[in-house]
Amino acid sequence: MRLRAGISAALASGAILLAAWQAGTHVAESNASAVTTSAPRTTGGTGTGSTAPGTTGGTSTGSTAGGATAKAGGTYTGTAVQTRFGTVQVQVTIKAGVITDVTALHLTDQEQRSVQISARAAPLLRSEVLSAQSANVQTIGGATFTSEAYLTSLQAALDAAHF
Amino acid sequence: MQPISDPSLPGRHGAEPRLRSRTFTSMGTVVSLAVPSAPGTASPSVVEALEAATAVVEQLFNRLDQTFSLYRPGSEASAMARGELTLTDASADMRRLYVEASEWRTLTEGAFTAERPDGVVDLAGVVKAHAIREAGTSLPALGLEDWCLNAGGDVLVGGSPTPGSPRPWLAGIVDPEDRTALLTAFPVGSAGKHALATSGTGERGHHIWTAGLQREPDEGFRQVSVAASDIVTADVLATAIMAGGAATLTLATARWDVDVLAVKNDGGLLATPGFRNRAGQNS
Repeated sequence: MRLRAGISAALASGAILLAAWQAGTHVAESNASAVTTSAPRTTGGTGTGSTAPGTTGGTSTGSTAGGATAKAGGTYTGTAVQTRFGTVQVQVTIKAGVITDVTALHLTDQEQRSVQISARAAPLLRSEVLSAQSANVQTIGGATFTSEAYLTSLQAALDAAHF
Repeated sequence: MQPISDPSLPGRHGAEPRLRSRTFTSMGTVVSLAVPSAPGTASPSVVEALEAATAVVEQLFNRLDQTFSLYRPGSEASAMARGELTLTDASADMRRLYVEASEWRTLTEGAFTAERPDGVVDLAGVVKAHAIREAGTSLPALGLEDWCLNAGGDVLVGGSPTPGSPRPWLAGIVDPEDRTALLTAFPVGSAGKHALATSGTGERGHHIWTAGLQREPDEGFRQVSVAASDIVTADVLATAIMAGGAATLTLATARWDVDVLAVKNDGGLLATPGFRNRAGQNS
């Protein structure tokens, strides 16, 4: 699942992990402002699966040990981090010390915010929405009608029936 | 809860709720207040309470309209539009609503704005929602627990059409391609979403200032409905998504706990899970 920049939860957490790896030396521009975001109980990122030759894919725990690893490049998987948006785990790709990709690996829906992340609007067929007839509803929602247009509206019919 | 609209299941909810409603005209549209009139209750007292509440809401709408309407030459908003009154000298109501609108502009990254292209402050987009919000505070204070307020197609509810039950109010959503038909319905009041606002190009023409955000006209929306916990959020976001298109839709669903149904210009639908028909589920 690829994250777009709009999902701030993952970016914020990614930035926190990156801060750990990179010891604050080279944070991607787009994430710079998010570094200051504080997540509760943030643990240091654990770098695994490093693919670049000559690097050890070591574990960085905190803000001091990760610099050398990150500068070499590779793909790093962060530990699952508890944020107020739920559990977030990110994968970061670094090339020549520059972040080239941030991907969310794990988002829970335990908390409302994470539900929203998965609650994006998606294409839908008309047959997939709740079918409704004016006889079955109590009110009518629609773009603002004028007083004149109201006279011929479904809402007017309902109001007349309920008078 | 079964789909309420399924005609094969007429008895599952008992009888369809009996409602009484009263209407008045304000802010260029018609406002309806409906309350349940359950069998067995003394009907005259229900109607009396409804009419008293409608009078209060009407007064509230008219008072705000007299301040904020640009159609009234004598309004404070008109004086500001003519340059006779500056914001700093305006009433507390005017300044408060202007600040709120400005905050929404920031939160929606410019998709919602209270300023017309000519620089005139037009709070019309917020005033009606603000009036509905105020009414929503007044109605419980008047002793009404179960009510449905509809102002020109924007809906705010309290309680249930069947008093004492968890049954939500069911709001039909007009099909922008055929205004005598319903596209779908949304259970207003369920999952904490008591407000439903719809914005569109249908009836009042292009009254939304697009702020130059929408670059691909074909990908724009014809109608956007937003359900939220409060009516101002629902109304502002519906307007913002109409103006800002798909980018603002993504922003809105990521940043707020809302359900959105957007009808694209090509007739296609985009919807969050809350608008999906989940048969057999409590939706």
